[in-house]
Amino acid sequence: MKDLIKKYCNLLGPSGMEDSVREAIIEDIKDSGAEYQTDAIGNLIVFKKGKKRRNKKVLLSAHMDEVGFMVKYIDEEGYAWFDSVGGVDRRVVSGRRLVFCESNIPAVVASKAIHMQTLEERGKCEPISEMHIDIGATSREEAKKYINIGDCAVFEPNYEEFGDGLVRSKALDDRFGCAALVKMINGELEYDTYFAFNTCEEVGCDGAKEVAHNLRPDVVIALEATTAGDILGVSKSKCACSVGEGAVLSIMDRSTIYDQTLLELAVETAKEKNIKWQYKNVVAGGNEAGVYQRAASGARVLAISAPARYIHSASNVLAMSDMEAVYQLAAAINERSFE
Amino acid sequence: MEKLYGLIENLTSYPGVSGFEDMAFEGLKEYISSLNIFDEIGTTSVGSFYGIMRCGKKDAPLILCDAHLDTVGFVVTEICEGGFLRVAPIGGIAAKILSATEVNIYGKKTIKGIFASKPPHLQEPGESEKKLTVADLCIDTGLPLEELKKIVRVGTPVGFPCKLQKLIGDNLAGAGFDDRLCGAAILRALMMLDKKSLNVDVAFQFSGNEETGYKGAMTTAYRLNPDKAIVIDVTHAFVPGAPKTREGTKAGNGPDICFSPQTNRAFTKYAVSLAEKEEIPYQLSAAPGRTGTNSNAVQTTRNGIPVLLVSIPLKNMHTMSEIVNMNDALSTAKLVSAVLKSL
Repeated sequence: MKDLIKKYCNLLGPSGMEDSVREAIIEDIKDSGAEYQTDAIGNLIVFKKGKKRRNKKVLLSAHMDEVGFMVKYIDEEGYAWFDSVGGVDRRVVSGRRLVFCESNIPAVVASKAIHMQTLEERGKCEPISEMHIDIGATSREEAKKYINIGDCAVFEPNYEEFGDGLVRSKALDDRFGCAALVKMINGELEYDTYFAFNTCEEVGCDGAKEVAHNLRPDVVIALEATTAGDILGVSKSKCACSVGEGAVLSIMDRSTIYDQTLLELAVETAKEKNIKWQYKNVVAGGNEAGVYQRAASGARVLAISAPARYIHSASNVLAMSDMEAVYQLAAAINERSFE
Repeated sequence: MEKLYGLIENLTSYPGVSGFEDMAFEGLKEYISSLNIFDEIGTTSVGSFYGIMRCGKKDAPLILCDAHLDTVGFVVTEICEGGFLRVAPIGGIAAKILSATEVNIYGKKTIKGIFASKPPHLQEPGESEKKLTVADLCIDTGLPLEELKKIVRVGTPVGFPCKLQKLIGDNLAGAGFDDRLCGAAILRALMMLDKKSLNVDVAFQFSGNEETGYKGAMTTAYRLNPDKAIVIDVTHAFVPGAPKTREGTKAGNGPDICFSPQTNRAFTKYAVSLAEKEEIPYQLSAAPGRTGTNSNAVQTTRNGIPVLLVSIPLKNMHTMSEIVNMNDALSTAKLVSAVLKSL
């Protein structure tokens, strides 16, 4: 799974431009015996036969897109002014290296030197909409040879192992989820199962809306990365979840109160299979489960997440053991009939 | 240009946060010796590396070329639960660039760290608009406390790794260009010279402690005792939002020659006329007060040393993504080389 995670993380795929990720996933599952199709919006839906049938239609879901940036204006001096695609904290952007999707043009988010900042400016971070990207151009004409309005960039690929069994990279949210699903598709399944690799999660879980309407699943399990607040000075009660403490089960977030039966089944399965797990202990964030729960005639939903420090930055930090635990727990639950 | 890139690639590869320049000495000595430029090299107790190139003529005057070796960075002040570090800045670093940024921690071995960023659910509404200081932040090492303590102690330096990235139009992004870039430009200038045909001896000092008070420059210049000096540093290239007075210095327009009470006017005028004559692109700037470089430290050494200040325009100074137009660095090398050849 490690190699898949690395490969997918290093692809450039902000919301609405997930093509390279989808192509890589198709390449990796095309010999698995699964049926797959790409819908009109770009979501990849996969069906894999298992040893048995079950009455419930079960869908496992992850998203292909990552947060990024889109050019809104190119000024006379060749700087590109932009805003984020998806939610990015303004304070993780200044000075960052970016790469433009498709063209692969490298870029830097300009950061005015501290010497030239007024006292009022010092320590403050301007909104992303007031930042600009430097590609090295000196005029609008020169810049437009390489980039244009509407072009997207993402944090530069930077996957690497870090600390004690950790990984840091852009886009681990949710490429690790994609990798986990690909691994499942390439394995033996107990029951027939649907899988969805969705677009546009970061801008409102749009991909999941179409997939839900199309498939009408009874049970959905979303594999996600979720914010871990286990940093210096934060008490356990506020950190949501901790890196290295296992797969995260959500009880409730800003969009979903999770299905209690599924949640109990997940806890029971984790205990039975001896898989490390933890509850998310704050009500924050949200994911595609919220969309599946309310789409069409509704579904029972569960989210299994990997704790991620510094999510939506150039340096998501996750534990390899947590990502493995998410995979194991999702695979184990999928062996259930859900009757 | 390729030779210059090679020099930059090498010189930016060493650690050397201000006050901890000795971490670069071994690598520098080996690399610079291999270039066969200098007749003598050495290091000082205040963090400077130097080399002397002799023309072989008796009583030849000594011209000093200064760039600084140290970079901005941090020093560990506390090792905390969960494998986090508190740090204090060394030199001027804007806190707004740090969240989720990668750093190298130069302990018993070099390990990676990432400045933690506060997750949104723990932020008060509007918190991202508030002022941030380095003291508000901590570095995540991803290591258990006990293991971390074996590698890092209070006082361990921390710096930005230099990841070179070529941009379009001969631009290059990296870290520590202030002032390793200028060291590379000086070495490139010296590689253009045939030392036997010079009328001067040339000393190169890669000074320590510039970012923290010019101490390497004043002590090394004292030791080398030159007759004249050229200080080469980076300067701010104009960027959107910079003061109007900075509009005259633009990336790509050549080395910036600086008039200031902290430089020598005659030597400066001489360099300008030489740049005109040799058709080397240049631009002028004025520092009516402090230059913010080693120029004053060198100029006031011993009985006084006439100083010429030449600067390479740089964007995003003191960040992990400084940007230089390589043509400016190459023109700087040509200008320095022309000055040395003409004396």
